[in-house]
Amino acid sequence: MDNSIVISTPPHVKSKRTTKSIMLDVLIALLPCTVAGCVFFGWQALLIILMSVFSCVATEFVYFFIANKGFAKKCKDAKAVCRRWVKQFDFTSIVTGLILALILPTTNKWYEVFYEVIIGGIFAIAIVKMLFGGTGKNLVNPAAAARVFMFISFAITTYTAPNFSGLDLTTGVFTDSTNLSWLLSADGNPVTRVSVLDLFIGTGVAGCIGETCKAAIILGYVYLCVRKVIKWWQPLLFIAVFGFTAVFMSGFAYVKTGGYIYNIQLFLPHLFSGGVLFGAVFMFTDYSTSPKGVYGQIVYYIAAALLVAILRYFTKFEVTSFVILIMNLFVPLIDKYIIRRPFGYVKTKKAKKAKSVEEKVEEAAENMIVDTTAEAKSGKEGN
Amino acid sequence: MKAVKGKYYFGGIHVKDMKGISKDAALEVLPDPETVAVSCSQSIGKPAVPCVEAGQAVKQGQIIAKADGAVSSDVFASIAGTVTEIKDLKGDGGADEKYIFIKRGENAEKEFLKPLTSPSAEEIRQRIKDAGIVGLGGAGFPTAVKVSPATPVDTLIVNGAECEPYLTCDYRLMLEQADKIARGARYIASALGASKIIVAIEANKPDCIKLFEAYEDIQPVILTKKYPTGGEKQLVYSATGKKITLGKLPADFGVVVQNVATCYAVCEAVELGKPLIERVVTVSGQGIKQPKNLWVKIGTPIKDLVEFCGGEITVIEKNEEGEVVEVTVQPKKAVLGGPMTGNAIASYDVYTHKVTSGVLILTDGEAAAAEPTPCLNCGMCADVCPMHLMPMNTAFYSAGGDFESAAKYGNVSYCIECGACEYICPAKRPLIQAIRKTKAALRKMKEN
Repeated sequence: MDNSIVISTPPHVKSKRTTKSIMLDVLIALLPCTVAGCVFFGWQALLIILMSVFSCVATEFVYFFIANKGFAKKCKDAKAVCRRWVKQFDFTSIVTGLILALILPTTNKWYEVFYEVIIGGIFAIAIVKMLFGGTGKNLVNPAAAARVFMFISFAITTYTAPNFSGLDLTTGVFTDSTNLSWLLSADGNPVTRVSVLDLFIGTGVAGCIGETCKAAIILGYVYLCVRKVIKWWQPLLFIAVFGFTAVFMSGFAYVKTGGYIYNIQLFLPHLFSGGVLFGAVFMFTDYSTSPKGVYGQIVYYIAAALLVAILRYFTKFEVTSFVILIMNLFVPLIDKYIIRRPFGYVKTKKAKKAKSVEEKVEEAAENMIVDTTAEAKSGKEGN
Repeated sequence: MKAVKGKYYFGGIHVKDMKGISKDAALEVLPDPETVAVSCSQSIGKPAVPCVEAGQAVKQGQIIAKADGAVSSDVFASIAGTVTEIKDLKGDGGADEKYIFIKRGENAEKEFLKPLTSPSAEEIRQRIKDAGIVGLGGAGFPTAVKVSPATPVDTLIVNGAECEPYLTCDYRLMLEQADKIARGARYIASALGASKIIVAIEANKPDCIKLFEAYEDIQPVILTKKYPTGGEKQLVYSATGKKITLGKLPADFGVVVQNVATCYAVCEAVELGKPLIERVVTVSGQGIKQPKNLWVKIGTPIKDLVEFCGGEITVIEKNEEGEVVEVTVQPKKAVLGGPMTGNAIASYDVYTHKVTSGVLILTDGEAAAAEPTPCLNCGMCADVCPMHLMPMNTAFYSAGGDFESAAKYGNVSYCIECGACEYICPAKRPLIQAIRKTKAALRKMKEN
């Protein structure tokens, strides 16, 4: 035994899973969407994906380089900074870049959107992520923020439909955006223009690169659940609440023509239109911008789903990325006030007087300061 | 009685149990070492006060340090010989402890207590106190205190969960000495006035469960294979469905938990009059040549154990001159106790205690020594917490020195320090360190 031995607090064995491996899992889960997008939309989609990923990774590198004073020193030191960057690189910027590209529409002329995608990537990484402290410290989802930023700055409202025969290909571009806006704006008679199966597979539907093929998204969801990256119930809870609320809201459209109708057949068209499924699986579940406790998560997903469904009805517009941003801003608040009760917690009799949550927390904190070392130790008894 | 399934509880982790390394090694007796150093701090509470002097001859089983206060236990000479010196040394936990060094003498004289036949409850309680028995699971809570609860107790749970990876000492003991454990459990139950005896065993030890099914008065419970099922609150919930309220003891709910090794020690103390001078220690890990389960005298140097098991593993390598040589593989970590809650040691010059359940020599591949990366806020630590706490909040606030918020949002004082959160953390954050730091700071704040 020599000095190479490591002394540390327990536990002395840890799981093999790291941040890197989780991000790699997310990339693998995004692969079906990427492939489907490239198949449906051709090489221009691939080009946008590559540009976005490159932009994000390069931005992160440059930011790291500047923050670590890579420019201020001589060349030798710059190499050390590069090595440190490689060491700490955890694939998060690749994930951001890929998601950002997948929620963008393609165009016929890639050179028109070239600088837009690059600027979007820079905004996502430099301003939304790195300025707030990098991995895990960002307040809002970088990809969603960049998407909204690009939407407002560059007015991206046209969506291309994939090149499949049977579709009206005179222009190849639906200027009236996705099936969603059609579904929402159909006054009085929301019969679906595209069949549910087409919506599910993504054939003949206009939309963003990764959001079009729902089958690919579900494949990614299954992979994420199997690898336990996300909890299986999170997207399902979101989808269930969203779907029923959306159907409930769209029932009001009939009121003008003759009373309220709850048409459950609209469930799937609502779900499969626009980016709500992609958002539920890949964007709401982002670790750093979703609540940490189980009860907080339940509140978060229900509130997000209600907000998406209701805002969609009134704005006649795809609002998923906006709702992601809004809900992200509520996360610190949820984390602060919805705290898990410890195992074996019982309400004290005083709590009957309908105390505010804050008072309860304070009271719990007071009780806690009691020295429970002996209790904690005896609790370990059996190991 | 037929085994029943334990109740499911939320939280906990599925650790690779690694018990296969030492599972099949039958119990062996480690020969008496040349010298032993018996610590006076063998249980939680005050350390015992030495009642022998340097140069004095002692017999095996003779009392050498007397308990100081109610939550303390007597310490006995584990080998016969001469007391050479009494001095302060750093224990494996890092705190100063008083050690009594005994050099082995020529003749092995014994001085045990008088064996009891059909003892009364009062006699058993007194015997447990006189034999210096402490909870051998890891906490070292004096058993005498536990068997004299203030409230009536109806159920005794014998803890054979052994949820810690690597350790197989309880498993081997159950397999080879089930009868004595059952008798010891009956003695404790009669001391408590408990009518029901439950033996709780994790599902990965089906052979032990089968052994205990043979007893008419004992109810075996199969627990889910999960860490930390052996934690007191989780165990009581799994085995009986009783949720122990925060700040209360199991005895308040009519339940007392005792480890299988403790039951064995009680049986020996009652029937043979033998005080607690030896216990089973698992020597395991991928860094040791022959993993073993050993009967070890308390106070044996770890060096002796490692040597008896063949030392650290070696690999055949070619050196620079092209010769084939045997090179010892340096361990990455050496651990006293289980890998989830044990203490890392810097050298083999430390001594076993009553609560030392294992010596693990961990190689590079299995020991955790990765650099921490930024917290992802993934919430996995909260998901696996068996106490349903939020360790990430504790780590976050304590890093900034705000210990009050750390306690408030992390509920840190209920933490049982099982280590599940740090095990699962993908960013490898030192969560247990943050929790201990916060607890210490809160204690200090309370004092002022």
